[in-house]
Amino acid sequence: MAATTTSTNETPAASSSQPSASSSQPNATSSQPSQKSMSKAERRELQEKQRAAKLAQKQQPQTGDTPNKPKAKPKTDSAQRRGSGAAEKTQSSGVDASAMDIETATNKSRSLRIFSHFGLTKHGHGVKGDIHPCIIRLALQFSEFRICGANARCIATLTAFKTVIQDYTTPPNNTLSRHLMTHLSPQITHLVSARPMSVTMGNAIRQLKLEISGSDIDMPEQDAKDLLCQKIDDYIRDRIIIADEVIQDLACKKIKDGDVILTYARSSVVEKVLLSAYKEGKRFSVIAIDSRPLLEGKALLQALTSAPPVSWTLSRDSLLPPPPPIPCTYALLPALPSLITEATTVILGAHSLHSNGAVFSRAGTALVAMMAKQHSVPVLVCCETYKFSEGVMLDGFGKNELAPSHLFQTSAQTPNLEILNPLYDLTPPSSITAVVTEVGLIPPSSISSIPMALGRITL
Amino acid sequence: MTSEPANTPTQRAVENLAWKLRRRQIVGSRATALETLLVLRQVISKSRFSSMEQLVTIIRAVGRRLVEAQPKEHSVGNTVRKVLHHIREEYHTATKGTAIESSSGFSISKFVLLGQPRKQSAPAKAESKGTLKENDPDDPDSFARSLKPVLMEAIQDVLDELETVYDNVSKSAPNHIHSDEIILTLGMSKTVEHFLISAAHNRNYTVMVLETAPSYGGRDMAKTLAAAGISTFLVPDSSLFGLMSRVNKVILGAHAILANGGMFAITGSLLAATAAHEHCTPVVVCAGQFKLTPLWNLYHEYGALDFSDPSQVLGFEEGSLVDKVDVVNPFYDYVQPNLIDAFITNDGDHPPTSIYRLIKETYDDEDNEL
Repeated sequence: MAATTTSTNETPAASSSQPSASSSQPNATSSQPSQKSMSKAERRELQEKQRAAKLAQKQQPQTGDTPNKPKAKPKTDSAQRRGSGAAEKTQSSGVDASAMDIETATNKSRSLRIFSHFGLTKHGHGVKGDIHPCIIRLALQFSEFRICGANARCIATLTAFKTVIQDYTTPPNNTLSRHLMTHLSPQITHLVSARPMSVTMGNAIRQLKLEISGSDIDMPEQDAKDLLCQKIDDYIRDRIIIADEVIQDLACKKIKDGDVILTYARSSVVEKVLLSAYKEGKRFSVIAIDSRPLLEGKALLQALTSAPPVSWTLSRDSLLPPPPPIPCTYALLPALPSLITEATTVILGAHSLHSNGAVFSRAGTALVAMMAKQHSVPVLVCCETYKFSEGVMLDGFGKNELAPSHLFQTSAQTPNLEILNPLYDLTPPSSITAVVTEVGLIPPSSISSIPMALGRITL
Repeated sequence: MTSEPANTPTQRAVENLAWKLRRRQIVGSRATALETLLVLRQVISKSRFSSMEQLVTIIRAVGRRLVEAQPKEHSVGNTVRKVLHHIREEYHTATKGTAIESSSGFSISKFVLLGQPRKQSAPAKAESKGTLKENDPDDPDSFARSLKPVLMEAIQDVLDELETVYDNVSKSAPNHIHSDEIILTLGMSKTVEHFLISAAHNRNYTVMVLETAPSYGGRDMAKTLAAAGISTFLVPDSSLFGLMSRVNKVILGAHAILANGGMFAITGSLLAATAAHEHCTPVVVCAGQFKLTPLWNLYHEYGALDFSDPSQVLGFEEGSLVDKVDVVNPFYDYVQPNLIDAFITNDGDHPPTSIYRLIKETYDDEDNEL
């Protein structure tokens, strides 16, 4: 099944890369006849541009495809090379370039270079070792956005690693603590080639590495593996599941009867917070704001509107009618300024926290926080501490990820027109009132002390 | 309307336009302005009047009918006001009624008085009549006969202005867009489109177009710009904040420019203008002067605005959700004057603070309420 989806996905990506490569290559190469008349510096500059254009061209189709089939990949590449080579041959013998052509070529490469770092993914070309089938499946699910969201991806990764660890046998003349990591790292590389690693996955894997290297050499292999799996389970339980419960309790205290809660897209924590507040019997309404490309807000609406009025009615007098469902309003992002005036609290989710207090989250979150700040509506960001990432982030442009074009492209390719779908943006700390973590409600300025709060002495 | 029998061709034309406006068969400020002007021309050429007051009453009645049909299309009322203003002007020059005494020397008190130029010239009406005879009992049509040619000319002027509005707005494009800049725009605005394309003739720059959900006018805009050879990026609305740090200028279109310097524009404009303000990026609005509206919007966030089809936001394919959820789809945003840096119009560039003066110059105060 995996193989069939792979091939169907590969073909459009490959075929779409073909014309674009051959269409841009002539622009770059067509300037060659006039090269003799150029100065050395000019020639070097041109070369640089061509290289950048070629690089960008290569990246464009690759961000989209599902790269968990190392066999299919070289084929695409060689096909591309052949195509471009042919174009080069025909062009170099062809007519001399007009100035306009150079102009468009340079322009294109320049504008591409601004975004070139966005979709930079390492590809599983030279992955050494075998990839476990469950990792291959997971990578597919990641790249198709079937598993999406920082928590879901982290839990799925760790669960898959448990299977990998259980199926692992230490080769002779080696120890588990030394060798297991070399077995795991190609699996990780493969996952990253499907979709860039989330901060949560990075943190969890770092922790796992620590546990592996610290495991006792003298322990029997099965015991060591069981212990590691136990550690993984503990991590999921402590840092994600229990943390979410604490966050639910803390955030619920900030929801009062009659409140209008505004939220953006879908965060698993925010969804849990809203549902648990509803179960506690609080009567509030929700404004769900949503935006392309992912339109995750619809999933949140589904969860909120189908919330069963279970325990609340059963615990009361049976004569009481079941409580009405949570009143929900749905709108797209451009309508936000019209609705923000009605909101009393904004609750948002996060992808990662940075030590300067900035919150890296689904694209559009920063806009919601900005509007809320303008209208003096408090902004709460619900976030587990394992999403903390050391280092500062200043804007959402430096590090970002593009949604794969084959999943979210809406229109056919046109020359001069690029479609970009950045997935994340950065909310500056100034527009956040408080971050709800399992260590308490903290202002964004104190995010840098989270490692300390967790008992880590060295920062 | 009292002087006219019902069901004349002119009246039918007025009714026809009113219904088209109401059914939104004609939308867009320029299209409605043009149609209004054509109907007004027909009305003036066909109607019978023997004095200025009668003519003004006739035009006002037509204007009121059209504005009531679609109060959200402000350019209809604006066109009527502009025609009235031009008619009065022509009348004053024709009667040689001392129009406005040429001010000798400059003084601040005169400047303040000039803020209300109509008030000053209003009494002049009663004075000398020149060659025109109003309310002539012998020949009631003589007034109309002598005035109609100049009136037609005046209307032709307004028509010419409307027809050349894109070219005149985009005249100054190279002054505003420089090489290698990154421009952000949204929605589908003909004015902005012409502006950007004319700038592309002598500048090499990049445009980022927001998709502008739920109408997705940005997609059409991006295609048009790309077809014109501009390097274009189409991005979803959500990426606005992330990309704003690299944007040099935000160029927006307007639906109506208000007297305080604010404007009504397609939804998403307020978000873009606010994000630009946050990043200290200049916000420039391209609009023809027929969008100047002597209205204020101080207290409404979106109450005075329009709503459009909710199925664009949450379609019926989400069957289980549709009946449980309120879906909001406002059509326009109100952008406050403090978020706008400049208006580029067909008659020069203006800061939002001087819009009130333009409005005073373009329309007569007594026409603010038609």
